[in-house]
Amino acid sequence: MRRYSYHKPQTIEDALRLKNEKTGAVYIAGGTDVMVQIKDRELRPSAMISLRNIPDLARIKVNGGARIGALTTIADIIRHPTLGQAFPVLMEAARRIGSVQIRNVATIGGNLCNCSPCADMALPLLVLEAKVRLRGSDTTREVSIEDFFQGPGESCLLADEIMTDILLDRSDENAVAVFMKKGRVQMDLAVASVAALLDMEGDLCRKARIAAGSVAPVPLRLRAVEEKLEGSILSEKMIRKAQELSKNSVSPITDIRSTEDYRRQVVGVFVKRSLEKALTWSQQ
Amino acid sequence: MRREISFFLNGSEVKVAAMDHMRLIDILRDTLNLTGTKEGCGEGECGACTVIVDGQAVNSCLYPVFEVEGKKVVTIEGLQEPENRLSLLQQAFVNSGAIQCGFCTPGMILSAKALLDSNPNPTEAQIRDALQGNLCRCTGYVQIIEAVKKAAINIRDSE
Repeated sequence: MRRYSYHKPQTIEDALRLKNEKTGAVYIAGGTDVMVQIKDRELRPSAMISLRNIPDLARIKVNGGARIGALTTIADIIRHPTLGQAFPVLMEAARRIGSVQIRNVATIGGNLCNCSPCADMALPLLVLEAKVRLRGSDTTREVSIEDFFQGPGESCLLADEIMTDILLDRSDENAVAVFMKKGRVQMDLAVASVAALLDMEGDLCRKARIAAGSVAPVPLRLRAVEEKLEGSILSEKMIRKAQELSKNSVSPITDIRSTEDYRRQVVGVFVKRSLEKALTWSQQ
Repeated sequence: MRREISFFLNGSEVKVAAMDHMRLIDILRDTLNLTGTKEGCGEGECGACTVIVDGQAVNSCLYPVFEVEGKKVVTIEGLQEPENRLSLLQQAFVNSGAIQCGFCTPGMILSAKALLDSNPNPTEAQIRDALQGNLCRCTGYVQIIEAVKKAAINIRDSE
């Protein structure tokens, strides 16, 4: 086991200062990814800067829209009294993450900053068009969640920056949003996953936001599918077209968890089911 | 460099010297000799290392020890009743044949305890969800679920 020093700053300012002072330091949130990367020797930090003791980072505020502190645990998101009512799709994704033990410590910001193509929390945030707030030593900036992801394990975070908040605008009251994930068992990372947000007027699709996970280098918005759907009547034929287009809009790989072909199939089926679900709801 | 850390372990305050890079499981097993907590995968998949921190089940193999400062930790050793008696939850595991090789048992029991402490009357679906993060490679899951159901009844009856 490689040794490192462990720091527990109480303020964001102290955390940023430590990160600049200590070469080879990494931030740690819940640790469910970082601790595994250290064990596997993918990460060899000289210092660990824990963000878990900064109270400002773990607050949730819901007022139509929402501001979720990046250090909020997945369990606290699930338990929150009003967040789930405002953004049910966020809750569906949170419940599908790992185990109780993982959800009790893993954080929403950690899930995003790990930048895995299969990050469960990324998909609802993509269809809700969330922004993330990034704080550096001298700057604070807001970035759309879509621009945040740059590649597998890569984000637009600068070396010292900390993700402080996830920002959500008031959700469209007519829109329905769904999250679907295929894993071998609940504990597993997704083989493929889809989130969809659809605003319907009868069978006319006014607005569509669709995102897919584990099927590209980053959690991906399927813009071509969205454009095809918006302003269209969701006929059986249109749903089939959207299913085919979804399969061709992603670039999955074959790896230990699944094959390229199967992942394409799953994304197509999930998009089809999302559209059928939205249609049923809008007609009720 | 070692520095002191203090926390509450199974109801009593402990002060131990720890190194920065240690995990909670390292201190429990190697420093405090509480070897009831098992290390299986070491990466949060198997749940053998499950302990309860401030009422919540966590994987002690992913928990940096200095995060436990001032918190309340419960390990399997903390479930023992006076005169070496087993707790009702442990006894239910024994009575249901929910123990085969025994390696996963402490983790299973602590996940079940965290559930029953917050939800004394869980449905089978809730029990399964609570134990999702605990693997039993002897695959005795049916008896384990039964044991938690029985324990829930016995604990409610005893109160």
